[in-house]
Amino acid sequence: MAHLTVAVSEATFIRSFDLLKRNFVFQDSDLQDHGAFTLGYDVKMHLEGGQVDLRADNTVQIKELDIRWDRLKVIIGLDIPEICVGGGCINMPWPIPDICLPKVCVFSGDPDVSISPDFASLVAQEISFTGSLDARYFDASLPLPSPDPCSLLRIDPLPTNNQWQIFLDPQTLDIDLFDFPDIVGNLIENALTNAVTALIPGGWVRDLILAIIGGVADLIRAILDIPDDIQEWLSDLFNVSFGLLDFIATLVLDFFASCNPFYRVDDPFEILPASGGLIPVRAPIRNLSVRVDDLEMVVQADVGA
Amino acid sequence: MAFTDRSDIYGAVHEEGLNRVVRHIMRQRPSLFNYATPFLAQHPDLLCVPIEAAPEVFAAGNPLVTVQQPLPVLAAPQPVGLNYCVQFTDMEIDFHDSDTIKLPPELGELAPQRFALRLKGCFGLGCLPDGYYSDLIPLEEVLAVTQAGRDSFSLSHVPERQPRDPIILPVRKLTCFCLELFAVLHFEWGKIGKDDYLKVRLDGLEVVDLRPVEMENIIECYAEAVLRLGILPRLSVKIEKMVLDITSVLRQQGIAVGQQISLQPAPVPAAVPNNPAIEDDQLKVFVNLVVTP
Repeated sequence: MAHLTVAVSEATFIRSFDLLKRNFVFQDSDLQDHGAFTLGYDVKMHLEGGQVDLRADNTVQIKELDIRWDRLKVIIGLDIPEICVGGGCINMPWPIPDICLPKVCVFSGDPDVSISPDFASLVAQEISFTGSLDARYFDASLPLPSPDPCSLLRIDPLPTNNQWQIFLDPQTLDIDLFDFPDIVGNLIENALTNAVTALIPGGWVRDLILAIIGGVADLIRAILDIPDDIQEWLSDLFNVSFGLLDFIATLVLDFFASCNPFYRVDDPFEILPASGGLIPVRAPIRNLSVRVDDLEMVVQADVGA
Repeated sequence: MAFTDRSDIYGAVHEEGLNRVVRHIMRQRPSLFNYATPFLAQHPDLLCVPIEAAPEVFAAGNPLVTVQQPLPVLAAPQPVGLNYCVQFTDMEIDFHDSDTIKLPPELGELAPQRFALRLKGCFGLGCLPDGYYSDLIPLEEVLAVTQAGRDSFSLSHVPERQPRDPIILPVRKLTCFCLELFAVLHFEWGKIGKDDYLKVRLDGLEVVDLRPVEMENIIECYAEAVLRLGILPRLSVKIEKMVLDITSVLRQQGIAVGQQISLQPAPVPAAVPNNPAIEDDQLKVFVNLVVTP
C-alpha cells in the first residue's frame, strides 16, 4: 500500500481548472516584410468556458474551451511603387515663357500606408482536447533544453528544487480554424482604399494617377496578391502564413503538456517549516503516480527512507 | 467506492509512511527530542544515546540538543549544578487495526480511531566523582558557616541573597537509564490562529514496570506534561500539508489561499463519521475546497 494517497474529486478538479484557466493570458506580435507589402499581427487572448470531464479510461477531456481575443490586430502595410506626374515643360516661342507642369510624386513612403484594424470582437474560436495525466520528475540540477520551448509559456518560474510534476498530456486536439466574416473583408478593403486615396492629390494629378494605376481597389488587390475574397485571404493569412493556428495548437499543447504542471510536489517535501534558525524538516517523495477515473484523480507516493 | 465520495479532497498516510516521517523529523530536528545542559551540548559524545542527525543539521550549525539549565544541588550554599540529559528515541507509531505495538495491560487494547506510540526515554546524570567532593566540601562548609547567622530557613521565609554563579563541574561519563514509554493518542482538527491544523492529543501514557508505583506515577506525570505541553504542540501539521500542498499551484499563480480559496475539514458527522479518521493502518483526512466567488 502506498504511504501517501491524495484524491481530488472531479468537481474539485473542475474548480481548480477554472482557476487555472482564469489566470491564463497569452499575447504575441510579429511583422513580416514581403517587399511590396508588410503583414503582421498583434494578438492577446484568454480562455473562457469549456467543460472538464474525468473519464474512466484514465484520460481527461476538455471540451469547447473558448479562445477569446482581447486583441486581434492584423497589420497591413503597402509599399506602392512611386508614381510621378508632371515636371515637364512645353517650349513656347519667344517672348512667351515656357509652360512647365509642376512635378507631383505620390507613394514615396515605405510603407506608403499602414493599417492595423482590430478584429477581436469579430472572431471567436474553440478548442477541445483529450489528455492523459502524466507524472514526471523535474531534476533541478539538469540543464534546460536549448532553446527552451517553454520560455514564453511558463506561467511560473522554474523551481529551484526537485519536484514531482503532474501534466495533462493532450492526445487529441481539435481547434477551430480562423474564419473571418465578410464584414472583415469589407473593413480592410475600405480602410486600405481610403488610406491610399488620401495620398493622391486632387485635380488633374488625381485623374492622371488613377488613369495610370487603373483604380485603387485593383492596385491594392494586385499588391497583396488577393485572389478572390479578401476575408478568405485573411483567414489563410492567420491559419497558414502567420502559422498562428499551429502556434496556438502548440501553445495549448505545451501549456498543458510540457510547460505548466497543474500539480506539483516538492521533493523533498516540507513537513515542518524552518523556525528560529532551525532548518525545515523535509521528507523525500518516491514513486509518485497519478491516475484518473470518472470520479476522481488519485495521486499516490511513498516516503523515502 | 471513491476516496472522495464524502469530501472534495481526501488525504491518507499509512503508518509505515508516517514512521518514516517521524524518523526524518528525529534526524532533521534532533533538538526536539534531546535535552541537555550546555556542557553536554558541547560534548554530545557523552549523551546516553548517540544522536543520528542528518548532514544538513551539521551544515546549518543547528543544535543537536535543546539546552537546559543544570540540575541544581539543593541547599548548597555555593550553587552547584549537575549535568544531565533527557533523550527520546526509537519513536514508533501504530494506527488502529494493527498490532505492531503491543500495549501494556494498563493501557488496554487500542481503541478504534486511536493510535499507539512507543518511544524510549533515557535520562543521564553527571554524578560528581569523589575527587570533586574533596575540593567542594571545604568551600561549602565555609559558606555554610558564614551564612548561618544570616539565613533563616523556614517554611515561611526564603532567604534573600546575591545569586552566585553555580559551579558546573565537567563530567567524563553520564550514568544513564532508559524507560520504555507507551502512549495512546488521537488526532483532531483545531485552529492555530486563523488556519486549520491537524493536532495530536494524548489519551493515556504508561511507563512499563517501574517500582515503586508512586515513582512510576511521578515519571508518567512528568512525561505526560512534556508530551502534551512540549513535543506534541510542535508536531501540529497545517491542513494544506495533509493533502500534499495541493493548493500550492493555485497559490503560486496569485490565487490567495484563505481568501479566494480555502481548505476546510469536512464536517462530522454530516459528511463523514470521523475526520480525521484512524483506520486500516492509516490516518485519513477529508477536506473541502471552498472557492470564494
